[in-house]
Amino acid sequence: MVRTRLAIALLALLPLSSPAPAQQKDDLIIGVSQFPAALHPDLESHVVQSLILGMTQRPFTAYDPDWKLICMLCTELPDRAKGTAREWTTPDGKPGWAIDYAIDPRAKWGDGTPITTRDVQFVYDVGRNPDAGANNQEMYRTFEKLEVKDERKFTVYTNKRECDYQRLGDFELVPAHLEKPIYQQGAKEYRNRTSYQTQPTNPGLWFGPYVVTKIEPGATIVLERNPNWWGKPAAFRRIIFRVVENTAALEANLLSGAIDYIAGEDGLTLDQALAFEKRNGDRFNVVYKPGLIYEHIDLFLENPLLADVRVRQALLMGIDREAISAKLFEGKQPVAQGGVNPLDVVYDPKAPSYPFDARRAAALLDAAGFKPGADGIRRNAAGQPLSLDLMTTAGNRVRELVETVIQSDLKKIGVDIKIKNEPAQVFFGQTMRERKFNAMGMFAWSSSPKNIPYTTLHSSMIPTAANNWSGQNYTGFKNAEMDTVLERVRVECADDVQAQLWSRIQSLYAEELPVLPLYFRTNSYVLPKQLKGVRPTGHQNPSTLWVEDWRWQ
Amino acid sequence: MSRFLSTRLVESLAVLALMSFIIYGLIGLMPGDPIDVMIASNPKLTAADAKVLRAIYGLDRPIIDRYLEWLGASLRGDFGYSRSFHRPVFDILGPRLLNTVLLLGSSSLLAILIAIPLGMWAALRAHGLFDEAINLLCFAGVSVPSFWLALVLILVFAVGLGWLPAGGMGPVDGGGLLAHLRYMILPVTSLTIASLASFTRFMRASMLDALRQDYVRTARAKGASPQRVVLGHALRNAMLPVVTIIALDFGALFSGALVTETMFAYLGMGKMIYDAIIGNDFNLALVGLLFATLVVLVGNFFADVGYVALDPRVSFRSLEEQR
Amino acid sequence: MTEARSQTLWRRFLEHRLAVASALLLALFALLALAAPLVEASMGIDARQVDLFNRFAAPDAQHPLGTDEAGRDLLLRLLYGGQVSLFVGLVTALASAAIGTAIGLAAGYHGGRLDRFLMRFTDGVIALPLLPLLIILAAVDLHKLPLPADWVRSESVNLYRIVVIIALVGWTTVARLVRGATLSARTREYVRAAQALGAEPLRIMLRHILPNIASPIVVATTLSAGAIILLESVLSFLGLGIQPPVPSWGNMLTNAQELIYASPRLATYPGLLIFLTVIAFNLLGDGLQDALDPRARATRLR
Repeated sequence: MVRTRLAIALLALLPLSSPAPAQQKDDLIIGVSQFPAALHPDLESHVVQSLILGMTQRPFTAYDPDWKLICMLCTELPDRAKGTAREWTTPDGKPGWAIDYAIDPRAKWGDGTPITTRDVQFVYDVGRNPDAGANNQEMYRTFEKLEVKDERKFTVYTNKRECDYQRLGDFELVPAHLEKPIYQQGAKEYRNRTSYQTQPTNPGLWFGPYVVTKIEPGATIVLERNPNWWGKPAAFRRIIFRVVENTAALEANLLSGAIDYIAGEDGLTLDQALAFEKRNGDRFNVVYKPGLIYEHIDLFLENPLLADVRVRQALLMGIDREAISAKLFEGKQPVAQGGVNPLDVVYDPKAPSYPFDARRAAALLDAAGFKPGADGIRRNAAGQPLSLDLMTTAGNRVRELVETVIQSDLKKIGVDIKIKNEPAQVFFGQTMRERKFNAMGMFAWSSSPKNIPYTTLHSSMIPTAANNWSGQNYTGFKNAEMDTVLERVRVECADDVQAQLWSRIQSLYAEELPVLPLYFRTNSYVLPKQLKGVRPTGHQNPSTLWVEDWRWQ
Repeated sequence: MSRFLSTRLVESLAVLALMSFIIYGLIGLMPGDPIDVMIASNPKLTAADAKVLRAIYGLDRPIIDRYLEWLGASLRGDFGYSRSFHRPVFDILGPRLLNTVLLLGSSSLLAILIAIPLGMWAALRAHGLFDEAINLLCFAGVSVPSFWLALVLILVFAVGLGWLPAGGMGPVDGGGLLAHLRYMILPVTSLTIASLASFTRFMRASMLDALRQDYVRTARAKGASPQRVVLGHALRNAMLPVVTIIALDFGALFSGALVTETMFAYLGMGKMIYDAIIGNDFNLALVGLLFATLVVLVGNFFADVGYVALDPRVSFRSLEEQR
Repeated sequence: MTEARSQTLWRRFLEHRLAVASALLLALFALLALAAPLVEASMGIDARQVDLFNRFAAPDAQHPLGTDEAGRDLLLRLLYGGQVSLFVGLVTALASAAIGTAIGLAAGYHGGRLDRFLMRFTDGVIALPLLPLLIILAAVDLHKLPLPADWVRSESVNLYRIVVIIALVGWTTVARLVRGATLSARTREYVRAAQALGAEPLRIMLRHILPNIASPIVVATTLSAGAIILLESVLSFLGLGIQPPVPSWGNMLTNAQELIYASPRLATYPGLLIFLTVIAFNLLGDGLQDALDPRARATRLR
């Protein structure tokens, strides 16, 4: 042992200057900053996992890069007009849907076994069993029953007649022929015993253009072409995911050629990417794609200083969000006017907005009874200073930077901001969840197209000790009209009614301002010039679902 | 001797048992659990879902119950599953342990190989220019923030010169031993620089001490050549405290290479323990930390035993009194 | 301490050129850091003033070292950061030394069961993982403690958290040193004499033992001040250090590493300052050790 160590130590002294073996151009090495602990599609969800699953599996439905819902594993989207989606009522009288799907007849698992409704039935059973702990319980609760027609056709019966019935994107298949025997040994232990953990390189688990062939926990995941893939053949012989957690080191790896490409879904921060582009624009393309990640400040509405809507409006107008977007993010992260992204079809450009206007902000504060004191800080009639705590997750450099800008901006209109940050675990696990913040909490929601903000805005969703801290209405927003609109928008599906309700949600949000919208986050994809065909999506379906189109030029 | 050993063993076991409880408690006290963080990023997760998930992970029961259950199972040799990896704890821990031993072993050995001649040389020319220069360099090595040093190494040798890989555990295709070694050079260098200083300074100090001892003077008086005196007598005696400090250091380094491991994407224990704590992965964090504690205790123990075994002037009895 | 002895000490210390230079450098840094508000006033800039139209500006007449990623003056940030880093280093080192001395004295003087208990406790603390402790203490709600509300709300409260946390786990080295020194001092004649005269144990410890074991404490405290400044930078790297917008050299360096290609300047200055300060503390400790106890280097174990 000592001798080998000695040898190692001596070798370490030698300058080994031989260059890395010339890179074969039929590989693609993707750098990511985290390792996905689990690959089972229904039990965990993780951003890097979704990148890998995009290449190794296919959901029934997905939003394409143009934000249009398409079929991936199914043959045709269900449609009321065609009779493939029908109104249905549950035995206990709840309105729901009966929706028909058919599996693509060419679909096969990586070991050649055809994908059939047997797999559908299995996933349905696992998902419905609370002991198995599928990560999307909400979806399985809306399923009332599953009816298998034949090897390929099945009908899902739901107990909610919501308007987005066409989607079946979160229903991801796993192979019954491999997994069912394991599941039958015990649902509770299934998550540890599943083949996705014990033998993830079994080709029978995968059915995308690629299959997983090698995993080194914490370091690399290697994918190779799936010989049983039925679609357009993929260009690369292998795709390798390499984990480098520190983003400065990740960037260094890219520059030294140890990785080819940094995925935008999980990679460099925006200003890192901006700086990178300036220096290395000749070798790399940087693609910025604004996404559905909505950065905002939740206001604690029970704080008497924030009770007056004029104060909330003044705060928003006092922050130069246009400058933040233009100067910090070089215009790549657009200012948000509300929670709905302008790329979303339900976005209403006519909802009130609050461009930067320090003078109007000051006037609003005057009107609300806050007059500047000797130290420049405004006070109300009772002499209470307008001093607010702004909190966010510690260690997030961009958020910390934005905080200091907000602090500096609001000081100019006489508002004192105290910055108090906490580790993410404390901030999300306690401060926000149990509503222990007292003024402003800055964080982001990630959502999907046409995502109804029910859990964040409905008055029944205010977390309290009595309801076991359920719901995400951290601001404590209570508005009867908003409640009604949120309930209606879920079930009244006619296009014109939808448009009207969505526009009402957005204007109510902007009028009442329970939340200060900041900006939509942008993912930065750092692509070598020779890599073609990568189309960032900006929503929850990753660009890797179209990996067949990627190629080296 | 046996009394000393058995007392130490019992005490160490007691410390270990107590530590397991304290660590479990500390992790349990941390606000928020992984489910909370899941909720925070996914508005669709309802309270009911969270409850189900907590029950599955056993997070809904009082901490003391969970601890006792864990203790019972681990005494039977079942250390449970890692929550975040869904694998038995030792499946994750094993390879990490090997990597850490490899990393720390090579960097400690390298540091020793450099520190001994350097320290010796400095001692022989004590207070000269060379001595001062070494002293300054040693201090420079321990005064750089570790992440900064790592980044500079990466920038110079991987990005600038392109000689060495920027990080990772090895080439994707396996490759030979030599290919893997290239990946170890930068992390080993970075750790060596950090521990070189204290080793060298200790070597120098204990060499100076040894040179002052009577038997060295006697040997000199008897006309032994200077090399013989230094290599034959002084060095051997000077090694004792150095061996001790290295044994102690190894324990301390065990979980302390976190920053180096993070920067070089090296899969060692430090990073694993850190991630497990941040991710509320009870079993993995606990076993990892206990392992680290164990190494500290074993290091302490060997330092003492080595001291006694090599130095006739120290007995176990006196050591026991001194500690 | 006699006049003659202190003169010898002083002379021996002055012989240590590097240590003298270090002491001067540290004094200079401390002075500059303390003068930050004066410098700020004379420059006519607000150190906290964000200027998004002037990010990453190169050095000019108004900003001698340029500006950072939020357009703030880098020189002022470094001076205020120095206040924080030096404060954390010194105060924490002193607090650790105080705790360690108390525990070491008690253990070494009383011996027996108390000694065994305290030393095993020390072992335990050495093995205690810092990380969960930090996260837990970061979550303690200070509003629930009987502390002034204004103070709890201030941004610098986080600084005291770091001081408390590091001091709570950092006293072990001093405790061991002091215990060892006390053990041997206990058997000395002057202690025996004081005991024979019926002096209180506390009085003996403070009046007779402590002055005689002061050297290793002073040395250890100096060395640990440097180590703590380094530790703060590592904690910042992990996101658990001093929280922005309060600047510290550690969090400035951590922030700068992502921007290393865009603006190496932002990383160079805090990095250099940390390096110089820590090395100065180390050399100073080294010089003090030589001056106070020339034999200690050869016999001290840790």
